[in-house]
Amino acid sequence: MQNLTTLFSKNRRLLPLLATIILFFIAYAIGAVYLPGMRDPQVFLNLFNQTPYLLVSVIGETLVVISGGIDLSVGGMVALTTTASAALLRTGSNPFAVMLLMLAMGAAMGAIMGYFITYLKVQPFIATLAGMWIGRGLAYFISNESIVINDRIYILLDRTKILIPGLSNVVTQKGDYVTPSVVIAMFVFAVAIYIAHYTRFGRTIYSIGGNSGANEQSARLMGLPVNRTKVLVYSLNGFCSALAGIFLSIYTRSGQGLLGNGMELTVIAAVVIGGTALTGGQGYVFGALFGVLITILIQTMIQIQGHLITWWTLIMVGAITLFFIGLQAVIANLKIGQGAGTKISRAKRIRQVLVYGGGAVVVIVLAIFAYNVLGIGGTGTVSSACQIKPFRQDQAANLLKAGAVIVYERNGGTNCIDELYGIFADGRITGDNGTQQIEKQVTPGDVETLLTFISSQGWFTDNMYSTSHVPCKVCDTYFTSVTYQGQTKTVEAVDGGTDAPAEYWLITGQFSTILPQFAKTP
Amino acid sequence: MKKSASSFEWRKITESRLFFPLVALALILLFDLIFIPNFFHITFQQGHLYGSVIDILRNSMPVVALAIGMTLVIATGGVDLSVGAIMAIVSSVAALLMNPFVLGTQLQAIKNNPTYSYSPFWLVILLPLIVATICGLWNGLLVSYGGIQPMVATLILMISGRGIAQLITNSQKIQIFYAPFVYIGNGWLLLPFSCYIVTFLYALGWLITRRTSIGLFIESVGVNVRSSLFSGIDEKKIRLFAYMFCGFCAGIAGLIGTSNISTSDATSMGLNLELDAILAVVIGGTLLGAGGRFSLLASVIGGLVMQSVTTSMYAIGVSANSLLAVKGVVVILLILLYAQQVQDLVRKITGLAKLKEIKP
Repeated sequence: MQNLTTLFSKNRRLLPLLATIILFFIAYAIGAVYLPGMRDPQVFLNLFNQTPYLLVSVIGETLVVISGGIDLSVGGMVALTTTASAALLRTGSNPFAVMLLMLAMGAAMGAIMGYFITYLKVQPFIATLAGMWIGRGLAYFISNESIVINDRIYILLDRTKILIPGLSNVVTQKGDYVTPSVVIAMFVFAVAIYIAHYTRFGRTIYSIGGNSGANEQSARLMGLPVNRTKVLVYSLNGFCSALAGIFLSIYTRSGQGLLGNGMELTVIAAVVIGGTALTGGQGYVFGALFGVLITILIQTMIQIQGHLITWWTLIMVGAITLFFIGLQAVIANLKIGQGAGTKISRAKRIRQVLVYGGGAVVVIVLAIFAYNVLGIGGTGTVSSACQIKPFRQDQAANLLKAGAVIVYERNGGTNCIDELYGIFADGRITGDNGTQQIEKQVTPGDVETLLTFISSQGWFTDNMYSTSHVPCKVCDTYFTSVTYQGQTKTVEAVDGGTDAPAEYWLITGQFSTILPQFAKTP
Repeated sequence: MKKSASSFEWRKITESRLFFPLVALALILLFDLIFIPNFFHITFQQGHLYGSVIDILRNSMPVVALAIGMTLVIATGGVDLSVGAIMAIVSSVAALLMNPFVLGTQLQAIKNNPTYSYSPFWLVILLPLIVATICGLWNGLLVSYGGIQPMVATLILMISGRGIAQLITNSQKIQIFYAPFVYIGNGWLLLPFSCYIVTFLYALGWLITRRTSIGLFIESVGVNVRSSLFSGIDEKKIRLFAYMFCGFCAGIAGLIGTSNISTSDATSMGLNLELDAILAVVIGGTLLGAGGRFSLLASVIGGLVMQSVTTSMYAIGVSANSLLAVKGVVVILLILLYAQQVQDLVRKITGLAKLKEIKP
């Protein structure tokens, strides 16, 4: 017991990080128990496959935050990088030259912001805010519309699957894989850990941050190169943002000003969840990985579950951020409490009550989330008695004949639904769940955007194929038929087996944003 | 800097608080005068005034309302990132109060009916404002009693607030037809009606901060928390008040914004407006991160500066999306105007003679 206490008090700074890692595995385990789709190793690997751009960005941001600053410009930089590289690639430039140019541009933009912050004493918040606006504005200046990337190298980087030994069949090239971006991101991750913890530069970053600017003063008095380090940190983050932009343009194979919208929020939240204190001076680059993984995990769970609005992701990320901030506050309290003896001051008691109260709020939110996502409770009887209905092929064919560009049917799942949607080119959307019919009108532009997106995800390539699992009782089965530019293709999939391509779930996720919702039947 | 400030010079400095924002506004309006024909042309039609300047006034009202609340928060040494999200929540709550059936199938029956509202008008106004104030209370509790860094504490609501707003309306946009509510953002009494609301809000803020000691306490907390504590100021309550007031202002801004577009739009209502509001306050000369002395009027002018930039850029044909880049450049220019080096230079030029007088 004594040993345990000393262990904890010695490694108190590690606690937030440890909590993050534990929370990630618990959340994944719970998900795997209730959502069979999560048991597939590929779903786990897809957490990584979706993250490279976010991970790289969070690494850079973590360093900035440790140095006591903040960088809001990541989203803007990402948008600028994707658009600029797409525009350059369209003119037939060498892809490697483009990538190098983008990285140099990112580093330069970061250095300029760092210069403003360090030498002109502009608040980091304001300087990087201007950077964000300039980045995104320039992206729109280059092109108001999305530019598709058709470069061979980019396609190759996107399509290449690095198969995991033991989980895949090398001969048929099928099985579990990661993308090359993941490997590069992991390399950056390793380099960042080395820089932060094993170099003089890294130690200077730690010494600058924290104590609301007082540490920076002492670092300066100790003769550390504070100014140079700060400019370097921002320029490093600019580099990371540009790299994130390159990853994102590989992943989406397009460039547009809208990409990375609101990304700075996700990134900062992931930094906090990763156990780095926003006051600076404390934290581990290693935490960045788990901060990102938890964010993506929540997103994945909501996607696999399929019925919740995607906005739950935000609420969950907010709640978890609150939890970790509370945890950091408690740990800071412990540190103060050591010298003060046993008597607890009133202020501290209030503070504790608040922290625990906040914790209770988080627990409640988590419970509501769990209730909704996993369908524990009320709907239990339905889910066990659900009989998967066959696809309504005739009705779907009629919709296609009537000119629907997308026919989308999903049935089964925990709520035993049976919904058939038809999306028409003029923006009309019809829905039929067997008992009621609904209609919704969106703009033709929305439908066109959706079709372009589906097409850009490789719908009409061999990469998109139907899967035929014997569906489990609580799995959704999907039937999607898409007509675009004279091509028609139908792909069926089951979320329980998830050997359907990852892009399929991205696409169905996009559907749920524009489909009308049925009124809940009592 | 100058410890031996006489009372005359004290007044001089307070004047200079309005000086820089006014210079910024004048520079932008000068730009308009030269490059945009008829920018200051105002016509009188159907009982109210029309023109670009009036447009600026009307469109800037949400930002100005936010800036008034944000000034107090920044003066205490904090910042509130969640105001945009609070606006979205307010928008959803107000729309749901007027038209809860929109989630069901009865939409057609009450469509285009300007007299119909499910809840009475006073509730439609009051409840969203209460919700907004509670949001502010939540931020304030986290900051003052939870001891969490303001930027982080308000980040939580900034992230999850928009999600909550979506949950309230089940992620649907709700159209608003109820005439009295539409009047808030679209009515005219010679000037846009929202101007009067914001003027009232400014008067309220001015009364609270300048006719009671709260304003002094806020400045004291911003300058030095410890010494205010030792002087018997309950800094926690002061901060709590600042955040609650900021939430209230965000509520007003949310009502005006929702009424302006006659739709509750949880996705884009107040999106990035917190950044505009913070900049408005910074242009108004209140120090972000440090706090201390503030001027509500300077922040109001700051808000007008932000909107003037936007309107001028639209007028010379910059597209809505590329506008961001221009705004970023303008922000850098304005911030450079505030950089210590430049301010020193200006003081040197204007105050050279005075300094010489004092020295001997």
